[in-house]
Amino acid sequence: MSILREFYHNATDNVLNRRLINDIMPTKTKSFWQKKLEEIERSKSGTNADYDSWKKRTLDPWNEKTHFSPAEYTNSSGFDLKEIYTSKDIPNDYEKKRLGMPGEYPFTRGIYPNMYRGKRWTMRMFSGFGTPEDTNHRLRYLIKHGETGLSIAFDMPTLYGYDCTNERAEGEVGKCGVNVSSLKDMEVIFKGIDLSKVSTSMTINAPAAVLTAMYAVVAQKKNIPIEMLAGTVQADILKEYIAQKEWIYPPEAHIRLIRDMMVFCTNNMPKWNYISISGYHIREAGASALQELAFTLADGFFYVDLGLQAGLEIKRFAPRLSFFFNSSINFFEEIAKLRAARRIWAEVLKEKYGVTDKRSLGLKFHTQTSGYTLTWQQPLNNIVRTTIEGMAAVLGGTQSLHTNSYDEAWALPSEDAVKVALRTQQIISEESGIPDVIDPLGGSYYLEWLTDKMVEETYRYFEQIDRLGGILEAVKKGYIQKEIAATSYKRQIRLEQGKETMVGANKYVDEDEKPISILRISRKAEKAQVARLKSVKSKRNELHVQKTLLDLENAMRTENENTFPYIMKAVEAYATLEEISNVGRKVFGEWKEPIIV
Amino acid sequence: MKINEIISGVLRGDKTSISRAISIVEGEPGSKNSRMLMEKIYKNIGNAHIIGITGPPGIGKSTLIGRLSGIITNSGKRVSIVAIDASSPFSGGAFLGNRIRMQESLARNGIFMRSIASRGMEGGLTASIWETVKILDAGGSDYIIVETVGAGQSDIEVVNLAHTVIVVLGPGLGDQIQALKAGIMEIASIFVVNKIDLPGAYIAIKDLQDTLAMSPQKGWKIPVLGVNSLDGTGFDELISSIGAHMDYIQTNDNAKEEIIKKELKVIAMEELRRSFERKMNAFLSDQKNGEILIKGSVNIYQIVDSILHDDKE
Amino acid sequence: MLGERSSVNGKNQSLFKDRPIKILLAKPGIDGHDRGIFVLSKAFRDAGMEVIYPGLLPKPEDVVEIAVNEDVDVIALSLLNGAHLTVFKKVVDIMKKRGIKDIAVVGGGTIPDEDKPKLEKMGITGNYGPGTPLSVIIEHVKKRAEEARKLKMA
Ligand code: B12
Ligand SMILES: Nc1nc2c(ncn2[C@@H]2O[C@H](COP(=O)(O)OP(=O)(O)O)[C@@H](O)[C@H]2O)c(=O)[nH]1
Ligand SMILES: [Mg+2]
Repeated sequence: MSILREFYHNATDNVLNRRLINDIMPTKTKSFWQKKLEEIERSKSGTNADYDSWKKRTLDPWNEKTHFSPAEYTNSSGFDLKEIYTSKDIPNDYEKKRLGMPGEYPFTRGIYPNMYRGKRWTMRMFSGFGTPEDTNHRLRYLIKHGETGLSIAFDMPTLYGYDCTNERAEGEVGKCGVNVSSLKDMEVIFKGIDLSKVSTSMTINAPAAVLTAMYAVVAQKKNIPIEMLAGTVQADILKEYIAQKEWIYPPEAHIRLIRDMMVFCTNNMPKWNYISISGYHIREAGASALQELAFTLADGFFYVDLGLQAGLEIKRFAPRLSFFFNSSINFFEEIAKLRAARRIWAEVLKEKYGVTDKRSLGLKFHTQTSGYTLTWQQPLNNIVRTTIEGMAAVLGGTQSLHTNSYDEAWALPSEDAVKVALRTQQIISEESGIPDVIDPLGGSYYLEWLTDKMVEETYRYFEQIDRLGGILEAVKKGYIQKEIAATSYKRQIRLEQGKETMVGANKYVDEDEKPISILRISRKAEKAQVARLKSVKSKRNELHVQKTLLDLENAMRTENENTFPYIMKAVEAYATLEEISNVGRKVFGEWKEPIIV
Repeated sequence: MKINEIISGVLRGDKTSISRAISIVEGEPGSKNSRMLMEKIYKNIGNAHIIGITGPPGIGKSTLIGRLSGIITNSGKRVSIVAIDASSPFSGGAFLGNRIRMQESLARNGIFMRSIASRGMEGGLTASIWETVKILDAGGSDYIIVETVGAGQSDIEVVNLAHTVIVVLGPGLGDQIQALKAGIMEIASIFVVNKIDLPGAYIAIKDLQDTLAMSPQKGWKIPVLGVNSLDGTGFDELISSIGAHMDYIQTNDNAKEEIIKKELKVIAMEELRRSFERKMNAFLSDQKNGEILIKGSVNIYQIVDSILHDDKE
Repeated sequence: MLGERSSVNGKNQSLFKDRPIKILLAKPGIDGHDRGIFVLSKAFRDAGMEVIYPGLLPKPEDVVEIAVNEDVDVIALSLLNGAHLTVFKKVVDIMKKRGIKDIAVVGGGTIPDEDKPKLEKMGITGNYGPGTPLSVIIEHVKKRAEEARKLKMA
């Protein structure tokens, strides 16, 4: 039995054992999370006498006199908020134990000693549309305007492992990102861009290994050694089942392919971050800040376990795991979430996994502002929202940032709109003074209380997830998805009732909305792509292609074989994305989601 | 579509007509159209074998039906499916979620499947499902599979319409199995323990076998089968057990008689219920009766008697 | 029998009086944006409708086949991926080919204003986008369901 199979076997075994144990007798041994929760409980100072007496002395009489009946204040995570926080709301020893200093455990204040003084965050604008030529043009435009890292968006057929010629791809080619059907397309996207200098992030998941292989082969063809390639491929398949819904095979199959890529890249592509554990999508699918944090980190620890099961040494792969968070509109809640993420990661790796290596303990992340908070109505307001969200990301200590464009709810960003979004970051970076001092909000009673609360509630979620049999099991059953859909619906109803506001959409509504000019992708892109793929297919060595695909099939059927080099071979032979994905469809079958609503 | 078109369509096996006919019996039970429809197709029924499948939610019934129906189709027989979901007691709305688990097989094999919400119709549900099944029968199905959630009296009533009743259970149900046994033990023709890929499945099988061993079984010996609906393990035995049960019914006069009695009871009960409802509504819609009720001048048992024996209709 | 009872929440009074509005929600293209369709499913259910959602990635022909099997009153198509002009059209084309006239089709998602008249011309109404109140959508669906029911027994 392979390591992986054993891993799952044990995992399911545990579910039932645990369930039995939980059902039949109260748990005798406390879980790690329960112990953490108790530790947190012990550190709390109990009641806040300062607050209580102030409330009685000054606040309540005031409210009474002004006939003010206090509304309920809460945030996306459902925390009840007091009017004010004081030093009594945070434990005495929080500075030493929970904050630390930048570049030091538990990294609450930042993972680097000099943070933005040493290096600004990377401004990475997610882009891609139409043909590879269109995208190549957009990437160069962004580089010219000061962008410092590339980020590629793929179209729907590519994201699901279909070629532009598939029946289902009709009308979808190039619409939501750039279309890549074969290596040829990747060659065009990166024409004239020095792959040894830029760092590239690719938002691709189910076919992540194929696209990574293509990127590597493009470099090889330009005589750039793959050791030099820097960047990130998203490849976080758990959050696909949870939120973005771009899967092809059942989870175990994708996890196997990720394992193969992890092992290959750890050994051969030292600057390539082969997985970007993403909360962004989880949040956009409707989760609260807390749910985003808890589910994403649970995914993260799952990948840690996976690496260990694959026999990798933790300090060799943990530094290569990076995260991707959302920055939404509730300013302090977001900052607290990002700080909490760093603390939890460090704490758990150290205390549960026994990690001491600093590079492993520091959680790095990319941030994107929230698309969901942006309205179709009165689109210019979105610039303001994005500014607030971008500031929260920076105050939360992000390593790179994408800011959304004001036409987010309308279409893929126009050139004008994306420029404003990039300028927003540049203004935060170079005019606002926000990055000048590290973690400038650290020590704010409110923020520290909120950060602690995020940590505590995340541990509570971890305990629940474990009781459900672990994150994979919870996802396969649809538990996590249901939880998110429920939060999303609650939010929608609150908007409907006017209990929450979206300016321009459910309050301060304009009678007549003026249309804005948007980017439209014509069907020409599809024609061009279909023509190119035909030409690629007519020129390639068919026999060789079929041989590489057969080899890949054999590798996929052999659990201990690493599939990644075989994928590279197939890519090199100009086997298409769909042909390669179909090998997996044949071997692993396709996935059907659990019932969510 | 006109009612006559619908009737001739059903008899031709036209899916659109069958579907519309079902809408009539579930949408306006007891109406003139519905009565006419059932009477016109009645001589064409009696060919299909009806399989009822019940068991707790999430146990894998829909998944099992997807696979089973695919196998039946591939053997050259026509199969149709009716699946029941509970309606929300608050809004009266419902999610009809059974389809999602079998959709792939339905699409691949061109199988007709209809989702029906329970709509809190207690007895009425049984009748409208019964009529739905008969329409599918008249439409040329060789097999009709009915899925219900194994909870409550009306559910047991519904599966009881079937010739072969399959009760699906799974690993890790523990006490649930015990609780289920009470109502369901008597009606099961076959027990299936699904998800035998998961630990605990064999314990469930053993537990069921032990319980069965204690109760006297005459004639048909109820099998306990383990299957995995995701990969098809155990389906050969399931198919042959269904076949064996069909043979048993065919050759056993007692069994045949039982089934006819069941049918008669369903139709009679429904007629009774409908007639009662008409009487009740007539009574309630009379303003004067309301006043009498409030005043309390007439004994409630006397009122009930007069409603039940009101024969003017 | 028709129109005997008063219209209950979500229930249609003219035909199949005991059956609430039955609606099929579908995303017929390659599109995984399901937050909106989950919200709509729940909202429709809470408005008293019977809701079928077959999961992601159904083919246009599957959508029509399901609608026929279930004899729904309304098909609600949602796409946020910009492929509505091609993919919604596939659905209504198949319906036309099969001669289905008594099921209403409504649409929504990321749909640019200039495409709305084109969709209307195909018989797809609503075509609501981000920020549309649920109440507006529910009203529209009820209206279209009523129309479809009238045609069902015409
Ligand atoms: C949330 C979101 C995501 C989430 C989706 C999570 C999920 N599981 O749903 C994540 C982050 C995963 C995501 C990913 C992507 N996204 Co996205 N996403 C959005 C976003 C920000 C909000 C959509 C949303 O859920 N809104 C909230 C819900 C409640 O509203 P709604 O769906 O719009 O529905 C309302 C109305 O539209 C209407 N409605 C909708 N459908 C229907 C149907 C009927 C019948 C009716 C009557 C009404 C109706 O009623 C609802 C209530 O008001 C939009 C931009 C925006 N602000 O709209 C982009 C957007 C839709 N995404 C976009 C893109 C490109 C993508 C990606 C392709 C990016 C990539 N290349 O990797 C991927 C593809 C994902 C996939 N598998 O399909 C583009 C689409 C561009 C286009 N059409 O031209 C948009 C417009 C953003 C942009 N400007 O680039 N996305
Ligand atoms: N492991 C395992 N899971 C199964 C099996 N059969 C069904 N499932 C899963 O059980 C869940 C519920 O299935 P479903 O058919 O909807 O159950 P129903 O509510 O009884 O109709 C789904 O996630 C299925 O994938 C099986 O044999 N083994
Ligand atoms: Mg079911």
